[in-house]
Amino acid sequence: MTKFMWFQLISIFFVLAVLVLICVFEDRLVTNSLENVADYVYQIETAIEENDGIRNSKVENLVDNLEYDWFNDESNLCFLVNHKSIQEIGIEIIKLKTYIEEDDIREFSISLELIKLYSEQYFHFMGASFHNIL
Amino acid sequence: MLTIIVRAIIIYLIVLFLYRLMGKRQLGEMQPFELVLTLIIADLATIPMAEISVPVLHGVVPLLTLVLVHFILTVLCKVSTKFSRFVSGKPVIVVNPEGVDYKAIKNLNLSIDDIMEAIRGAGYFKLEQVQYAIMETNGKMSVYPKSEFSPVTNGDMNIKAEKSCLPINLISEGKIIKENLKIANLNENYIMKLLNKANIKKVKDCLILTIDKGGTVFVQAFEGKYQTFKVEPLGQVQE
Repeated sequence: MTKFMWFQLISIFFVLAVLVLICVFEDRLVTNSLENVADYVYQIETAIEENDGIRNSKVENLVDNLEYDWFNDESNLCFLVNHKSIQEIGIEIIKLKTYIEEDDIREFSISLELIKLYSEQYFHFMGASFHNIL
Repeated sequence: MLTIIVRAIIIYLIVLFLYRLMGKRQLGEMQPFELVLTLIIADLATIPMAEISVPVLHGVVPLLTLVLVHFILTVLCKVSTKFSRFVSGKPVIVVNPEGVDYKAIKNLNLSIDDIMEAIRGAGYFKLEQVQYAIMETNGKMSVYPKSEFSPVTNGDMNIKAEKSCLPINLISEGKIIKENLKIANLNENYIMKLLNKANIKKVKDCLILTIDKGGTVFVQAFEGKYQTFKVEPLGQVQE
């Protein structure tokens, strides 16, 4: 084996490792962040039922936590996809906070449903699937 | 703008690394799959470079993947001749002693004009001068002339010629190349002697100095005409 062949071999293994790392990072990030959103939505829905309304500290805290976690995840997701493609969840979270202030449970519920829908849609176009490959 | 500058640097460095990885063959004789790869790489590299909305990874990941696939294809081509022929095709004889093989040139989607052009490129202007013309897998035409039209060599004339040897570059743009000095088994004092012989006082005044195994020296100062002279052949130099 010549020096160049060693360089090629090591580089190819390095490239392979980088690709595997990127795929694992993408898969974990997409799955975790979207599952996290869905989990928060479920917790908020339960909190609304338990407290009979949206103007209470539990719902407010959950929405704050959802906002904090989502914006953290969103900045990481921007390494993988165009920011514009995943901005709807962020917009809906901001709307949730406004609806809490206005105590508008109807619009709040619509936004929650939209967040659920968007998280499912994002998973469809970011997750690894046969449909996406083709 | 800073984003675009940084992105351009990142992509440039990655593409440079990838081309280095693929070897120098990329720059000259490209096989069909190498040509495809080169075209795709050029296109892929420009998208994330100029388009801020596209993440750099969208350019980098396909680039790395393509190089990986290319490496696997290259290894498979080396291992299996059949696979190599499938990917790159095989050389085709388009002119044989009986003349132009029309069927072969039709299969290659070539015309007589293309054949004539390639033959002229090889230095032959008449078809009757050509014994064989072979279309290589990289798209180049190799021409084997009939014996009466092939160039005369020293061997044909029974002339004993000096063995040609590659010159070693000892000074380049005013700097001694120490690596080559070691190869030639010479030292700096000997170089100074050569420079004095050429009326050059300092190393930094010398543009180029080469010496071959037979002892032929080529030297040129930054200003002035070059000089050549003979010294003792390398290996017989008395320090």
